[in-house]
Formats: sequence, C-alpha cells, structure tokens
Amino acid sequence: AASSSSASTRANSVQFDLKTYWTSLITQINQKLHEAIPVQYPPQIYEAMRYSVLAKGAKRAPPVMCIAACELFGGDRLAAFPTACALEMVHAASLIHDDLPCMDDSPSRRGQPSNHTVYGVDMAILAGDALFPLGFHHIVSHTPADLVPETQLLRVIAEIARSVGSTGMAAGQFLDLEGDTNAVGFIEEKKYGEMGECSAVCGGLLAGAEDDDIERLRRYGRAVGVLYAVVNDIVKEKTLKTEKGEERKQKEKNYVEIYGIEKAEEVAEELEAKAKEELDGFDKYGERVLPLYSFVDYAADRNFSVVDATSG
Amino acid sequence: EAEEEEEKSTFDFKTYMVQKAQTVNQALDAAVSLKEPLKIHEAMRYSLLAGGKRVRPVLCIAACEVVGGHEAMAMPAACAVEMIHTMSLIHDDLPCMDNDDLRRGKPTNHKVYGEDVAVLAGDALLSFAFEHLTVSTVGVPPARIISAVGELAKSIGAEGLVAGQVVDIGSEGASDVGLERLEFIHVHKTAALLEGAVVLGAIIGGGTDDEVERLRKFARYIGLLFQVVDDILDVTKTSQELGKTAGKDLVADKTTYPKLLGLEKSREFAEKLNKDAQDQLSGFDPEKAAPLIALANYIAYRQN
Repeated sequence: AASSSSASTRANSVQFDLKTYWTSLITQINQKLHEAIPVQYPPQIYEAMRYSVLAKGAKRAPPVMCIAACELFGGDRLAAFPTACALEMVHAASLIHDDLPCMDDSPSRRGQPSNHTVYGVDMAILAGDALFPLGFHHIVSHTPADLVPETQLLRVIAEIARSVGSTGMAAGQFLDLEGDTNAVGFIEEKKYGEMGECSAVCGGLLAGAEDDDIERLRRYGRAVGVLYAVVNDIVKEKTLKTEKGEERKQKEKNYVEIYGIEKAEEVAEELEAKAKEELDGFDKYGERVLPLYSFVDYAADRNFSVVDATSG
Repeated sequence: EAEEEEEKSTFDFKTYMVQKAQTVNQALDAAVSLKEPLKIHEAMRYSLLAGGKRVRPVLCIAACEVVGGHEAMAMPAACAVEMIHTMSLIHDDLPCMDNDDLRRGKPTNHKVYGEDVAVLAGDALLSFAFEHLTVSTVGVPPARIISAVGELAKSIGAEGLVAGQVVDIGSEGASDVGLERLEFIHVHKTAALLEGAVVLGAIIGGGTDDEVERLRKFARYIGLLFQVVDDILDVTKTSQELGKTAGKDLVADKTTYPKLLGLEKSREFAEKLNKDAQDQLSGFDPEKAAPLIALANYIAYRQN
C-alpha cells in the first residue's frame, strides 16, 4: 500500500515530461557515441561498429535510465555519460551476435538490415567482439575521476560484465536458442530484464548510492525491462491480429505465444505494480524520482514515441 | 658454449613453467565453475581448460614479479588474459572465420557444441575476463585495477586483437601483402595480447611508468617473435607435431615471413627480435628477470 506522499509523487509522474527529458538526453548520448567510435584503420571494423551503435531511431533506454538513476541520488550526469554510452556499446554487441545466422538468423534490426547482412558474418562477429571491450575502455578513460571514486567504478565494470555474461544475457540467449518453452519467463528476465537492471544499478553506483538503494534499483530496473518486453509482445500480437492473413514468424518464444494474451496482460500489470512499489521507497528523494516513474508508464503504455531529433 | 647456456636456462625454465602453469590451471578451473546453464559453462571450460601452454598468464605473473609484486596479486589478471586468448581462438576457429576443426589437438569448440554456443561461450569468456579482473583481484590499489582494465580492453578491441583479425581477413588471397601489412597483422593479432599480459602484470605489481613501458617494448618484440616462429613452424612441422593443421597458411595462400623473406632470413629476424626483447630487461634485477628471459628464449626456440 502506497503512502499518501508516494501517491502524490505517482500522480506527479503523469505531469513529468519524460519525452523532453528523454529526447534531450538522446541528442547528447548520440553525440558522445559518435565521438567515441572514430573511424580509424582498418575502417571496415569501425564502420561496422558505428552502423549498429549509431543506428537511427535507437531509443537509448538503457543510457537514459542509467542517467536518471544517477540523478535520483543527486549524482552529476557528467559522471554517468561514459557508462551510459558503454551500456549502448555492449548492448549493441549482444544484439549483433544475437542476429547472426547461427543464432536468431535475423536479416533486420530496428527496421534496417542487420549488421552481418551489411558487413558479412565475420565482420559482425568481430564488431561485437570489439564493442564489448570498447565499452569498458570508454568507462575507465572518460569517467571524471573527481566525480566517481575508483571503487565505485570497479563495481560498475563488474556489474556490466556480469549482466552480459554467462549467467545474464548470454544465458537468456542460450535458453532462447534451446527453445525451452517452460523457460520463457526466465528468458525474458535474462534477455530484457538484465539490461534494465544493469542500467539502473550502474546509475546508482556512479552516484554512490547505499547498498539498500542499489538493491531496490536492481528490482525496479529488472521489472521495467521485462515489462517493456512483455508489452512489446502484446502490442506485436495485437498488430498481427489486425493484419489478417499475415504469416506469423514461429521462432520467437514469448509470453503471449506461450500463455496467451490475457495472462500476458496480467503479468504486465503485476510488473508495473512491482516497479512502482519499488519506487515508493525512493520518495525521500522528492521529484528526482519522477523520471523513473515515467519510465514505468512508458514501458506499460507507450504513450509517446521517442525519436532522436538529430538523426533524422 | 651458447648452446650449453641455453640448455641450462631451459632446464630451470621447465620447472618454473610446470609449476606456474599448474597454479594457473587451478585458478582457471576455480574461476569458471560449472553452473546453470550447464552447456554454455561446459563450452567455456572445454576450451579454457584444454591445456594450452599458458604462455600469456605466466608472462603476466612473471612481469608482476619482476617489478616486485607477488603471484597472487596478478593471478586474476593472468586468468583474464587467458580467458580472452581462449575466446579469440573460439571465434577465430568458426566456419565464417578460419573454419578450423582442430585446436590444441582436440575438436574445436563449435565442432563439439555448435556454432551458436561457441559464439556465446566466447562472448561469455570475454565479459567474464573483465568481471574476474575487477572482482577477484585482491591486495591491489583500485587505481591499478582500473588502469589494468583499460589496458586489457585496448589490447583486445578494434585497436588491438580485432584490428589484426580484420586486416588478416582482408589480406587473404591478396598477392600484394608486404612486410609492413604483415607486421601490422601480427603486432595486433598476436603481440597485442602478449603486451596486454605483460603490461597488466607490471601495472598490478606496482611497476613505475618507466618499468611498465620497458616491459611493454619487451612484450612487443616477443609478440612479433611468437608469430615469426609460428610461421616458420607452419612450413617445417607436421599437424601432429603442432596439434593443429600444419601448412594451412600455404593452402590458404596466406602471406608469411618465410614466404616474404625466405626461411633463413626469417630465422635471422627471429634471432634479432629475441635479442631486442632481452635488451629491454637489462635494467631489472637479473634474478627476477630470469623467467622473462627464459620465456623469450622459449618462444624463440619452441618446437610447436
């Protein structure tokens, strides 16, 4: 049960202009990503890396959540930008490898040909292999030393490495490939929840948040990440239903296909409630928690579209 | 006389290598434990514990010790470097890359676990290397660990290992590959990670900037040396002796040092690189530098 003060914070989240907050951050993040991957010799690899990281229409949800979580505790967003960019780099690396012919075999991503379709399978593997370390390098070389203590920075690196690793996103991708329908909940947690969790936690770590708050961010970020994925599944299913005669691709395993749309909507409601319940614990930080509330609303309702004004 | 001296150092070196490799193997075994999902961790362990020579981790430890550090300080970094090395071999062996069936005398990772798992196992080893380095390094100031993270990342990314792979792929079948491009490939594909191993050890062990830079140069020379010797062995040894497919470079029409310089000149070049490498060690305590000297000689005179 929410206290009266958190109820009012929740109400304010409706007024918070997430779209402006988000789009203005996207512009800055894109600029920093653009600078972070200059084309050098050999150019093919840098072009392949840039193709995926700077893809048009990328929503930059992980970096924006990281920055919002950092600002929640009064952290400087300058402390969070390098990690925010790194999250996009490692995320792009995972997606490039997920799309490979030997994995999900996806010819397209975000409405554009996938990396290997353009640059070849060998270059796509290497682009991913280069983006993971570039993310870590970017953090240690760009994070202002006066804003983030070294021990915190090490925790950020460990957090990202764990999230993309063999018990995190790689585990999700593996189980997805196995096609175990009993594991669909686990798979969505790993494939989508990990990124949300990691983004929120890194923001908190960069701001020097207490361990209790970090754990709260962990639960919040995971719930929002999975919520976003489940709502995606629901929206996709509804769109397919209206486009009669369209052949549905069978290889994707998701909540809707396994449990049906009603159960999926129930799950989405539970996740939304859980995420907001976690945020109630951050009421003491006042209005700075509003961006985090509005992420939940966005994940649940998609009430606006996030477009990067500069990439168009 | 020179031969006698070499044999003497080889003997000491063998004991040193066996002991260090054993410690490294135990640390690797403990670092990557078998957990859920089992198959992906099995695949990681399959290649990681396949019994390589552990040249990189031993270099890392030796560099840590030469600047006054202790083995235990450098062990997570040493393991991280071996994880990265293993990961690059797994991805390099994939059908879309070098398409190798055999590695360290065993079927390659994707032959056993499938391509999808091989890609993921490589990715998982890559990220775990960073997790292990940052979480498991103890008794070392955080600033040194952060510096090590930056060095490791640089040595394996688009400015390091991957750059070498890309230029290598782009040079296959090309008739105009000169010495300069061949050196670029090897400096990045092989020397970068050896450099990473040595520099990580030196940083973690508390080496001064000057010491780190001298050891970096040492590593670059032996990195190139490693590849020149590899090229020589590829034309002079059988698959069985090498534990991998011999003569592959010739079949794939790859440019090699013997092809560009001839076998004799390649051997002379190897000698020069070994000498240049060892010159970098002259300022260090001779007793503590002995393992690094022996490692350089080992790389120069190895038979597989």
